[in-house]
Parts: sequence; C-alpha cells; structure tokens
Amino acid sequence: MRRWGYRHVITPLVESMEVLDLGLGVDQRRRLFKFTDPRGDVVAMVGERTVPVARLAAGKLRGVPLPMRLCYSGPVVSTDEGRFHHRRETYQVGAELIGASGPVADAEVIALAARCMEATGIRRYQIDVGHAEFFHGIMDAVRLPDDVKAAVRAALAARDFVALESLLEGTPLKSAEHELLLRFPALRGGPEILEAAGGLIRNKRSEAAVAELARVCELLVTQGIGDVIVLDLGAIRDFDYYTGVIFEGYGPDLGQPVAQGGRYDGLLAKFGRPAPATGFVIQLDLVSEVLASSHLPRIDAAIAWSGTGLNTALRLGSTLRLFGMRAIVDTEARGAADAKSWWGAVGAANLVYCRGSADVTWSTKGQRARNLPPEQVAARLAGGIA
Amino acid sequence: MKTDDAVSIALPTGVLMNDALGLLTRSGLFTLSAEELGRQLMVEGPDARAILVRPADVPAYVDHGAADLGIVGKDILWESPGSHYELVDLKFGGCRLVLAVPEASRLNGPDTWPPLLRIATKYPRTTAAWFDQRGQAVEVVRLHGSVELAPQVGLVDGIVDLTATGRTLRENGLRIASVLGSSTARLIANQASMKTRTAAVQSVVAKLREAAGLDR
Repeated sequence: MRRWGYRHVITPLVESMEVLDLGLGVDQRRRLFKFTDPRGDVVAMVGERTVPVARLAAGKLRGVPLPMRLCYSGPVVSTDEGRFHHRRETYQVGAELIGASGPVADAEVIALAARCMEATGIRRYQIDVGHAEFFHGIMDAVRLPDDVKAAVRAALAARDFVALESLLEGTPLKSAEHELLLRFPALRGGPEILEAAGGLIRNKRSEAAVAELARVCELLVTQGIGDVIVLDLGAIRDFDYYTGVIFEGYGPDLGQPVAQGGRYDGLLAKFGRPAPATGFVIQLDLVSEVLASSHLPRIDAAIAWSGTGLNTALRLGSTLRLFGMRAIVDTEARGAADAKSWWGAVGAANLVYCRGSADVTWSTKGQRARNLPPEQVAARLAGGIA
Repeated sequence: MKTDDAVSIALPTGVLMNDALGLLTRSGLFTLSAEELGRQLMVEGPDARAILVRPADVPAYVDHGAADLGIVGKDILWESPGSHYELVDLKFGGCRLVLAVPEASRLNGPDTWPPLLRIATKYPRTTAAWFDQRGQAVEVVRLHGSVELAPQVGLVDGIVDLTATGRTLRENGLRIASVLGSSTARLIANQASMKTRTAAVQSVVAKLREAAGLDR
C-alpha cells in the first residue's frame, strides 16, 4: 500500500462510545464489547476501523489537504461469534481514500484491493463490483407503499427471496423494477450485463449507476485487472451506509468474502468534515484459511549444510531472499539422507545442500539432483521462480 | 472444504427427508433411497453431491461453505439466521409455529397475557423476538424435547412449538392460542457459491425449482 502512496495510521483498539455512536448503525453498535473507563465513560473495543479512521481524518488530520490516502491494520472484535468466521476476533488490513469522488477514485481502491489480495499469496481470486445507487434507484421507482418498501429492504438484507417474492406478488403494480428485484442474485456477469440491465431500468439513479460502473470497469481493464472483475448489480450490502460503487473479494473455496469495500460519502460529514470517501478491508484470518487449504509451496528453498558448508548456506540464503524468494537455512549440520527428510518436513520447493564452499547439491521435486557452484544455484533458482 | 466442481446439497434427516429425496429424484439430479443415504451420509451423483445432516445443522453447513445448497425448514432458519441466500419456497413440509396453552388456561390473545409469561420452547430466539415485538415480557425456558409436558407439570404458562396437524397438542391437553408463523421447506445457498460458482449452482437451482413445480 506504501507503493500506492497510502500513509499508515494507527487507531486505538478501545474507542469512546461517543465517537463510535456517530458512525455506526444500531446493529453494529449492539455487537460491540462495551465497558466503562475509570471516569465512568462508556468505551468499546472497535468492531471495524473505518469509523476511527474517519474521525482521525476529520479530527487530528483536519489540516491535511484532501484527497488523503490512509491505510491501517489491527485486530477488531465482535460480541457476535458468527461475525468473523465464527471467532470473536479477527485481524483486518484496510485502506481509505478520503476526499476523492468519481470512477477514477473508485477504480484505484478496487485495483489496490486486488493487488493486496494478490500480495497475500492467494493465487485465484475474484472481485465482485456493484453499485448501491442501482438498488436505491430501483427502490425509488417501484410503486409500493412505504411499509412494503421497508419490508422489501429487510427481505433483501436478509437475502430472503422467498419473502421478497411473496411481498411483490401481493402488490398490484408490476414493473420492470419488480422483475429486477426478483432476479437480484442473478444480475451478474461481464460488461454485457450492464447493457442488459440498462434496457430494463427506467430511472435516472439506476441509469447513472450503470454508467458509472461501466466507466469503473474500463478503468480496471486499463490497470490490468479486468479478468478478475465480475459485475454484480445484485450485490447486497448495507445500503444505508454505502453510497456508490461497492465490491467484495472472494478467494477459492471459502464460503464468504475475504475483502469488502465501497464508497461511503456520508460518513465524514458526521465528524464535521464532509468529504466523499471510499475504501476496503481485508480479513487476514480468512486469507490464511484460503492459503492453508491450497497446496502451494510456501517456502521456495530449504538450505541444508554440513561441515564447512555453513558459510555458503548463509550467503546463499541472503542472495535468494534479495531476489524475493522465501528461504530457510538449517540451524544444524545434517547428513545427506537426514537433509532430505528435513526438506520434506519444511515442505519447500527446492533443497540446496552445501557440503563446502564450492560443493553444493541442488534438488527439486521431480528432477535429478545436480552438483553446481553456489552462484549458479542462486541464478537458476531466482531465474526459475521470478 | 470442497475443491471440485460438483455442487453439494445438504439434506435434512427427519420429517423433510423423504420429500427432499423425492424432489431430487424428480429433478433428475439423483435417484436416492432413504436407506442408501442413511447408510452412506454422503452420495455422489453426476452433477451434484448429497450430504445428510441433522436439520438444525443444515444452515451451518451452508453458511460455512461446506455445502453450496441446503434444504431446510423455515423454522430452523428463524432460529439460525445467517449469511445464506434463501432462494425458493419448496412448499412441502408445511407446519405452523404456535403458542399453545392448557385447555383450562384463561390465556388467549395478547389482552389476556399476564405481565410476565413463562414459555417453554425449542425455539427460544423466535419466541423471544415475537413476544418482544408485541411488548410482552417473557421468560423463555429452553427445552430440547417433550415440550408438551412442561405446562402440564406447571413449569410454564404455555409452549411455543411446531405443529402440522395439532394432534400431539390435543393429546396432551393443549390448545392453540396464537400462531407465530408458518413454515415450509426452503432451498438455501451459500453466498460465495452464488458468486464464484454461479453457473453450476444456478443450473441445480433451476432443476430443483422446476421439479418443485415453481417455474418462473
């Protein structure tokens, strides 16, 4: 994130309830661990860090000109055990782009989220991009009594399409928007779905949302991540909080999103510095779960040694790490057979066995072991993996 | 956690099992007998895999992504709302969640309730929420079986329980005072499966929908 110019900020784990009250919805507030400090004020353990970061941007960093790029990391807790993948605590890394609106800013944050997911080591991932305004436009356009509208929102928020169907069936006025709501989870795919949806909607808000999504999609293609993007007009998120482009990142074979983000232009105003903003958060414990379930070699080279080979082993380790590889140098001398079983236990892709300053054996899975000078081993390893 | 492409469906043991198996057979996804599934707990079909779990566990399997889809009674979903999509009302397994009181009780509608009601139930969450909405203070006693017995021995004023025909209630000298809701079997889906395996999951959903006679 540094490479993208995001400044790392640290916000406290314990925040005053007065601050959190301003930014959080009723349900989010309910899920906080709360207690009182020695002065009798109610404080809470943070359940997310966007609100504390917004307070920071509007408070201590008030003098910093906008747009402002901030990133953060830290633990968050929730009283709801089901919240963070059935744990009460998770570790989140996030970024916020404050003070910039429009597709270019939206695309920047999505591209950054994609690069972050890549950097965690997840090899296959997908980012679903949607737009909160598409939904708001539909809700404006459907002709329903207010109480039914509220029920429709509740059913959608609960992803309960059975309830939604019976609500909409009971209303006499049918429109294209009715049909769109019922097909909500299926409104996804490539750029072609924007055209398809564009043909069905008859309201300005949804039309503007579709146009904006198309632009964001183009910008993401330009930045080289078009192939991981799926457009999802039926994305269901907290529609009271998000005001524009929203997105979620999915890894392989995990039942829930690893990354979530979107535009929330209303939040900063609550802290007295009105500004558009967008950002995302990655749940690191979910990332490690994805990584644990895939069988990728986590260590590139296991470097064993015997006799005078230690110096060569240490130098080789440093060289490989300079090339960005993950290398482990053994802590004790081993015989050749013992080194092989240690290699297996480490689970590295390559074994380099150093017997002396020039006597090095390189083994890799599925190939014959070869004796090479150390610098050639380094060159081949770095060349093959980089 | 699954890694292959077969769509997995969690099926409930108990009263919904036979109807669920019938639906799968009609959809052409599986031909399974209850004995077969009961013996193996997990059966592979050409496009899908069926796993048999306890009814109350179906949402857990689906929410964690161990199953892409699940068939489960709405009554279970009331008790364990989660991150899944509730896609289709499969219409079978119909029953009602009711407030039942002893025949002789003077309890009826809300205006007859005392300031604090004591209610025994296997559905504590739904019960508490329902009375809460009506501004009624309630002490919920959570039981795991033979709920009908509780009012007869004076443990509680009434019970909240599921009934299809009302027979068990009558046999235990109870009558229905209020209906909290109606339940039928539902098809639910994992949120990530809906997004990352869209085509495979949607095709199975379409087959099940058609087999349930709900083509839209």
